[in-house]
Amino acid sequence: MNRREVIKRTAILMGGVVSAPAIMGILKGCKATPGLEWTPEFFTADQAFVITEVAEIIIPKTDTPGAKEAGVPSFIEQMIYKAYKESDREKFMTALDEFITTSGFLKLNGEKQKAYVLEAHQKAIEEKPEQRPFIMMMKELTMLGFFTSKPGATEVLRYEAVPGYYNGCMPLSEVGKTWAT
Amino acid sequence: MYLNIDATKENTFDAIVVGTGISGGWAAKELTEKGLKTLVLERGRDVKHPDYPTATKDPWQLPFADRPTAEDLEKQGVQNRTGYTIRQSTKHWFVNDLENPYTEKEGKRFDWMRGYHVGGRSIMWGRQSYRWAPLDFEANVKDGIAIDWPVRYKEIEPWYDYVETFIGVSGQAEGLDYLPDSKFIQPMELNCVEKELKKSMKDKFGRVLTIGRVANLAGPLAHDKSPQRGTCQYRNQCSRGCPYGAYFSSNSATLPAAAATGNMTLRANSIVYEVIYDEQKGKATGVKVLDAETGEQVEYYAKVIFLCASTMGSTFILMNSKSNRFPNGLGNDSDQLGRNIMDHHLGVGASAEVDGFEDQYYYGRRANGIYIPRFRNLGKDKRDYLRGFGYQGGASRQGWGRLVAELSIGEQLKEAVTTPGKWSIGMGGFGEVLPDPTNRVTINPDKKDKYGLPTLLFDTEFKENDYKMRKDMANDAAEMLDAAGFKNVRSYDNPNQHGLGLGIHEMGTARMGKDPKTSVLNKNNQVHACKNVFVTDGSFMTSASCVNPSLTYMAFTARAVNFAVEELKKQNL
Repeated sequence: MNRREVIKRTAILMGGVVSAPAIMGILKGCKATPGLEWTPEFFTADQAFVITEVAEIIIPKTDTPGAKEAGVPSFIEQMIYKAYKESDREKFMTALDEFITTSGFLKLNGEKQKAYVLEAHQKAIEEKPEQRPFIMMMKELTMLGFFTSKPGATEVLRYEAVPGYYNGCMPLSEVGKTWAT
Repeated sequence: MYLNIDATKENTFDAIVVGTGISGGWAAKELTEKGLKTLVLERGRDVKHPDYPTATKDPWQLPFADRPTAEDLEKQGVQNRTGYTIRQSTKHWFVNDLENPYTEKEGKRFDWMRGYHVGGRSIMWGRQSYRWAPLDFEANVKDGIAIDWPVRYKEIEPWYDYVETFIGVSGQAEGLDYLPDSKFIQPMELNCVEKELKKSMKDKFGRVLTIGRVANLAGPLAHDKSPQRGTCQYRNQCSRGCPYGAYFSSNSATLPAAAATGNMTLRANSIVYEVIYDEQKGKATGVKVLDAETGEQVEYYAKVIFLCASTMGSTFILMNSKSNRFPNGLGNDSDQLGRNIMDHHLGVGASAEVDGFEDQYYYGRRANGIYIPRFRNLGKDKRDYLRGFGYQGGASRQGWGRLVAELSIGEQLKEAVTTPGKWSIGMGGFGEVLPDPTNRVTINPDKKDKYGLPTLLFDTEFKENDYKMRKDMANDAAEMLDAAGFKNVRSYDNPNQHGLGLGIHEMGTARMGKDPKTSVLNKNNQVHACKNVFVTDGSFMTSASCVNPSLTYMAFTARAVNFAVEELKKQNL
């Protein structure tokens, strides 16, 4: 029995309480590609590597988890392949492949990867080119995935599933941090 | 023969209610509580409180960060015209547009948002609840527009009292004659910036800003008839369905009350497509149902029929009920059936940034906003258009999204995001649309839905009065935000980005009136020419006011049931 079957069976035994997305989440736990902490369904190994590293540069691990640990790379893949319409997916994939070629990202060391991303980002923000650069597509997707993830929402931001009451004027110091929702 | 009589008996009730939304739920409750054996028919699937599949999901438990996928938008592209309804957490409450098509006259949009399930749109409604004012019922006759309402405020006032007490309306009493107070439970709070705007509006314009009046239990109900309803937990996930029963819906409130009487038979997946009219008796005897699951056709019979299938739903049923007596649709002697489509026009207002209050924030997600009642064309104020508009909106501090377009990245982004951004505030207008007979819906026999039934064809557009009003709606909002000292004030007006219907307050297609020659229903929501058929959803509205309409549908429904039962007792039906 392979891992996928084990998990499916477990879900049935538990009375189906594990939802399909949750099963996918567990499956994402298997480390099949060396150096990658998740198994891409659609991206090539190179594409998955670049997505993963750029996401982690945008939101790195500090004393709280970063993009990798929050599952952002597989979130991005799901968005691109299962949510985006075909023309948007093509736009993203073209931009990704161009980015890989132009940056020579796969041959750069970690320091240089980071420097490249930071510079591309600064340029994109300052120049606001008409065609949305790859780095901005990535920043938006990474932030969306991260701040709706459990670590992003609960450890970096503040999240209350059931606030229970409303206080319309409260010192920020008592709330502590930005609300996730 | 014997068997047939038996089957007829089994399918015979005292009353039939078509639809389970806001109006249908109320009709079911009132009829059953008055002792009538009532069959309640719903075209969509069953939904039982508190079985709302996404209600308690955290953000990370929803795929695609709650966004719609390309596939979702193929199936629900029309339903997504709002921009906010098709989400992973809410899409199951809206119809599949491919299975439930309609037609728009070339170049004219009509945005028809529907939910086919028990509870209807009472599950996803905005919950804003405002009484109509005396002036609203008098507006048509004073302005010489369309026809006069056959009802005045004083007649409906006790019914507002009655429905508000049952549903629980949170709000602040303001004592305004142009926006009468409801029987309120405790109001929700304004936040710091909203309080600032309230003060400025009072000082500089003499205008009112109040907390939204909302059918959410900010405090406990004043009765013990809805033990399944708890108080608001400030999650702001109402449109998913509330497991706490903290807002009013048919599922959480009226249908459980109806079920408790033992007099209700609820049949889901039952598409009513025709009212059966008996030429000899001169009244309706029942309805024809198509079973959405089996395709079986069944007839049900009753002494009295309440059509509460939503404005367009009930209008379709009436139009589709043709007989020798009514060749143009049941009760359509006046040719007004399907005409006078109204909604509230929106997508116009202003927003601003607010300096200061940086050390202030809020706790909880308030499922409500501010309300600025109508101030135009009141008293001495006279504009170059008729009627008026109210604003809904609110203030909040910007979240993580603002940083996408800023220089922050990496560790610095993670640090910056923990402090909320600037306060911003916005208000959007809801404008009264006038009844116009050329804004019309008809049956399109050429396009069939999934079940082989004909569909609707809409021919509607905004008119000159709406466009003139929109100028004020944008400018007044900007002026008030500017006067409060807020920065970066921007007004907006997107008249071409929506059609009638996007306010999801479609109404008026079977209006009530005094004269059967110019109206479909009488003052008791009774079809003029077929006295045992009542229509109490938005189709009865003779004008639109500028306030959210659902509370008014509830009041008229309860009143119409009371009348119908009295008439049954007198053997008049």
